[in-house]
Amino acid sequence: MSITTRQVVDGPTLRQQSPNGQTGCLPTEDNNPVIALRNIAVQYAGANSLVLNIDKLTIVRGEHVAIIGPSGAGKTTLLRLLNGYVQPRSGRVNILGKRMNLDSVRGYRDYWTRAVRRRVGFVFQNFGLVERATVFQNVLWGRLGYVNPLGSLVGWFSEKDKVAAMAAIAEVDLLPQTRQRVDTLSGGQQQRVGVARVLAQGAEIILADEPVSNLDPALADDVLDLLSSVSQRRHATLIMSLHQPPLARFYADRVIGLRAGCIVYDEQAARFDDAAIQAIYGREFNMDLSPVGLPTLPRQQHVASAPVQGTP
Amino acid sequence: MTTLEYPRPSLRQSLIHTAGILLFIVLVAWAWRGSDFTWSKLVSGLPRMVEFLGRVAHPDMKVASTVLQATGETVRIALLGTVLSILSSFFLGLLAATNLTPVWIHQPVRWLLCILRAIPMILLALVFVSTVGLGPLPGILAVTIHSTGMLGKFYAEAFENAHRGPMEALDSAGATWWQRIRFSVLPQVIPDLARDTLFRFELNFRDSLVLGLVGAGGIGFYIQLYIRSFQYNKVATLTLVVLLMVVLLEQVNGAVRARLR
Repeated sequence: MSITTRQVVDGPTLRQQSPNGQTGCLPTEDNNPVIALRNIAVQYAGANSLVLNIDKLTIVRGEHVAIIGPSGAGKTTLLRLLNGYVQPRSGRVNILGKRMNLDSVRGYRDYWTRAVRRRVGFVFQNFGLVERATVFQNVLWGRLGYVNPLGSLVGWFSEKDKVAAMAAIAEVDLLPQTRQRVDTLSGGQQQRVGVARVLAQGAEIILADEPVSNLDPALADDVLDLLSSVSQRRHATLIMSLHQPPLARFYADRVIGLRAGCIVYDEQAARFDDAAIQAIYGREFNMDLSPVGLPTLPRQQHVASAPVQGTP
Repeated sequence: MTTLEYPRPSLRQSLIHTAGILLFIVLVAWAWRGSDFTWSKLVSGLPRMVEFLGRVAHPDMKVASTVLQATGETVRIALLGTVLSILSSFFLGLLAATNLTPVWIHQPVRWLLCILRAIPMILLALVFVSTVGLGPLPGILAVTIHSTGMLGKFYAEAFENAHRGPMEALDSAGATWWQRIRFSVLPQVIPDLARDTLFRFELNFRDSLVLGLVGAGGIGFYIQLYIRSFQYNKVATLTLVVLLMVVLLEQVNGAVRARLR
């Protein structure tokens, strides 16, 4: 991944040099899985079918994974499982080298200690920010997993926490807005605050649940660019669910397709094509004519192709 | 071209609406008939009202020092009662919020708040006057308990209106339960809490006027004293001060609320 995505985005002709496309870049220095799932079954109370049914899923450190699939396929459930918000009914879960004991309720609850939770960051579709608070406050609160639980209640944060927050704000390019209230920012800027919070948190795994669904295509591109570049810089593992297949191909190394709770596709992004989309979504699709993924296509083509998607 | 059928209210819906309106009319009629409300009584009482107002129209400023001292006591009762009820309401409100605690905690706490609200403040004052004696203390206790019933419920509703997103985000960052309350719930609902609390303080000020009638301190004590001894011009002074205070409080409330967004 020597070429930054920013360069690639600048013109459609550079598209073929997409870093994800050529190298299939699994990091070589550390092939220990940060996430290993076996025979996972997730069932919601009262439902008789499984929302998630995964035989095997292994993700290694530094991978950039896109999860795609139709609505209700279990993308969000999978991400929330990795974040401790969904408890699997059965199976083996190993995150960051720590095995979950599913034999008892205690085993699950004790698994998600502060020390584990703070290593896994989450970026939300709706940003998950306190809108009345400033950019600095929101990012600083990403450090809550480190600060003294009692001291923080009266507003005590260490110098290190504040420095880390400022570094994160600088990294997402929001320094001029540091003191501004979040509700005065644009959607794209708000999602950058969400990313900065995860950076301040020092997350080794960054989960992003449809991080750009609320943004226009240009902003979506900026945010995904940011997410993948900061993850790469910090050697963090990035797992994001996306609704637009072209974005998945462009911004991930690996694409996982979910359908009805099962993994039906798992390939390097370079090999992710229209046929794969048909297998996952169950209908024809042409990525080059797709109205999404705007920045990689000339504008006229984008406009002209708009009605195509409406045709079943 | 066929016309599309637009949605019409169902028979059941229209029946429910009509029944609701009828029920309301019946209730008002029932209240009216039992109230002994007749225009002739109002008209015949008019001269006496005018006479009363005439006597009140000349406030006696000689009682100014008493009035000041009594007003101070009423404000003190309202202020301490409100502050104490903020503390109890905050904790009970957290316990009563459906999004923060399981049902076996928040449901009993809701019932408790409902009971506290249901006991009239004057009754609480009577009980405390007979147990801890005359003076401001029984007033403060009565205000605290009665306000907790209302503020606790309002706080709980404010907490429930907090968005889940920031809570989950901080949870994912490793925040503890208290940290989530402090850094995601509170910053979202502070304006609501402040608005409810200021409103409650206004109510407490007016309610603690009445508390004086049963010996629980404050302006109310002097109002009933002067009324019973027919010193209406002194009552007038007290009434003016009360009016002034209420208007002032309303102004302060408005100013504070405008600043909190």
